[in-house]
Amino acid sequence: MATVESMTSDVPFEITQRPDFALLTVQLEQGQKIYSEPSVMASMSPTILMKAGMKGGFKKTLGRMLGGESLIINTFTAQDGPGEVVFAPGTPGDLVHYHLDNNTLYMQRGAFLSYTDGVDLTGKWQGAKGFFSGEGLVLLKASGNGDIFFNSYGAILEIDVTNEYIVDTSYIVAFEDTLDYRVTILEGMKLGGKLKSFFFGGEGLVCKFSGQGKIWIQTRAVNPFLSWVYPFRPTKNN
Amino acid sequence: MRHEIMARPAATVLKVNLDQGESLTCEVGAMIAMSSGITVETTSRQRGGSGGIMKGLKRMFSGESFFLNHFTAQQPNQTIYLGPSLMGDVMSHPLDSATLIVQGSSWLASDPGIVIDTSWQGFGKALFSGESMFWVKCSGTGNLFVNSFGAIYEVDVNGHYTVDTGHIVAFEDSLTFKIGKAGQSLIGSFLGGEGLVCKFEGQGKLFCQSHNPPSFGKLLGPKLRPR
Repeated sequence: MATVESMTSDVPFEITQRPDFALLTVQLEQGQKIYSEPSVMASMSPTILMKAGMKGGFKKTLGRMLGGESLIINTFTAQDGPGEVVFAPGTPGDLVHYHLDNNTLYMQRGAFLSYTDGVDLTGKWQGAKGFFSGEGLVLLKASGNGDIFFNSYGAILEIDVTNEYIVDTSYIVAFEDTLDYRVTILEGMKLGGKLKSFFFGGEGLVCKFSGQGKIWIQTRAVNPFLSWVYPFRPTKNN
Repeated sequence: MRHEIMARPAATVLKVNLDQGESLTCEVGAMIAMSSGITVETTSRQRGGSGGIMKGLKRMFSGESFFLNHFTAQQPNQTIYLGPSLMGDVMSHPLDSATLIVQGSSWLASDPGIVIDTSWQGFGKALFSGESMFWVKCSGTGNLFVNSFGAIYEVDVNGHYTVDTGHIVAFEDSLTFKIGKAGQSLIGSFLGGEGLVCKFEGQGKLFCQSHNPPSFGKLLGPKLRPR
C-alpha cells in the first residue's frame, strides 16, 4: 500500500510501511506541538522537547481513562528549532490520518495515536451501550479542528456507510458521529427469543451502524489472537 | 459471487459480494463486518447433512469445535468481510468437482456447493490429538477460501515430498501420504525439533504455510502465567 502524505493537514506528515508496520513521521516548525499516547514515540530530532502530563484538566483526564486510554498525554514541542517526531503504535498494523473540521470522530479504546492543536479528546461514557458490550465498545471522542491519527492491529479498511452496516465490536477502529450506532446481537443468532447460536456463533456482539458516514475497521483483532494463544498456556500443577 | 482479497500478505482480509439469495459458509468467528441485508444461521455441519447442535457441542468439548456460520444475502449487492485470527494470507481455490483436504484452522469459507466433511480422519486420530489438529475434507464445485499463518507457498508434488505437519495448509486428494519421522530415529527427529512429518506421494498440489502455528504457540505459552 502506498505511503500517505499530507496535503491539507496543519502539520506536514508521512505515513510509511503500510499496512503491516505503519509509522507516522511529523515535521514540526519551531514552536509547533503534537500530542500523543504515551510510549509511542520511536525517535525524534534533538530540537524536540517531550513533556508528559495530564492534559486538559482532571475531568477530561478521567474521561480518557474511562475510554481505556492512559491518563497521561505526551506533548512534543519543537522548542529549539524545527524537527521531526516518528510515532510507532504498540501493535503491528495500519495508521490513518483524519482531519477534523468542527466535527466529531469516535475511536475504539487503544486506537488513538496522536493529534495536533485544536483537537479535543475526551472519553465517552457509553451508559447501557457500553456496559452491554463489556470490553467491546468503550469509545474516545475527538472533536474540534485539527488532525488526528489512529492505528489498528492489522490493516485498516474504510467503509462508506450509506444506509446500514454491521461490524463485530472487536474490529471497530473509528467512525464518524454522523452515524447512529447500536450494540446488538446478530439477527438470526436469536431463536425464539433465546440466544441459540450467539454462544456457538463466536461472532459475539456487533455494532449496527445506520445513517451516512465513514467507518474504519481493522482486519485483525487482539482478542481472537489471545483466544488462540490461551490453550498454549501452561496448566497449574495442583 | 465476486470476491476480493485485500491487504496481503500479513493482515489479509477477504471481501465477498453476495447478490440476493447467494450464500457463503464460514468459519465461526471469521466475520469482521457485513451489510445489514445478510442473515446468519449457525449449524454444526453443512446444511442438510447430519449433525445438529448436540453433536457439535460434543465435538467442541472434545476440542474439535466445528460450527459453521451460513451467511445469506436477503437483498441485492451485499458485502461481507472475513478474516482469520492469526497474521497471514488468504487464498482462493476454485474446486470443479474436486476434493481438497484442508487443515482445520486454515479453512476460512466456501461456496454452498462445497460439502464440508469434518469427520475425515485420514491421518489417524490419536496421532494428532496432541497437536490439536483436525482436517476438513472439502469436495464439490465452487470457490474455497483458505488462510495461513504467514505466507502460502504452493508445491507441485510429482513423486515424493516431505512436509512438517504444522506447515500443511491443504492438499489435493490425488496425493497419498504416510506419517513418519523426519530423521533416521524417532528420538533424533524430536530433538531436531522436526517432530512428525507427512510424506506425500503421487501427483497433486500441496499448499504450505511459511510459519507453524503450534511452534509459535509453544514459544509463547511457557512465557505466560499458568491458567
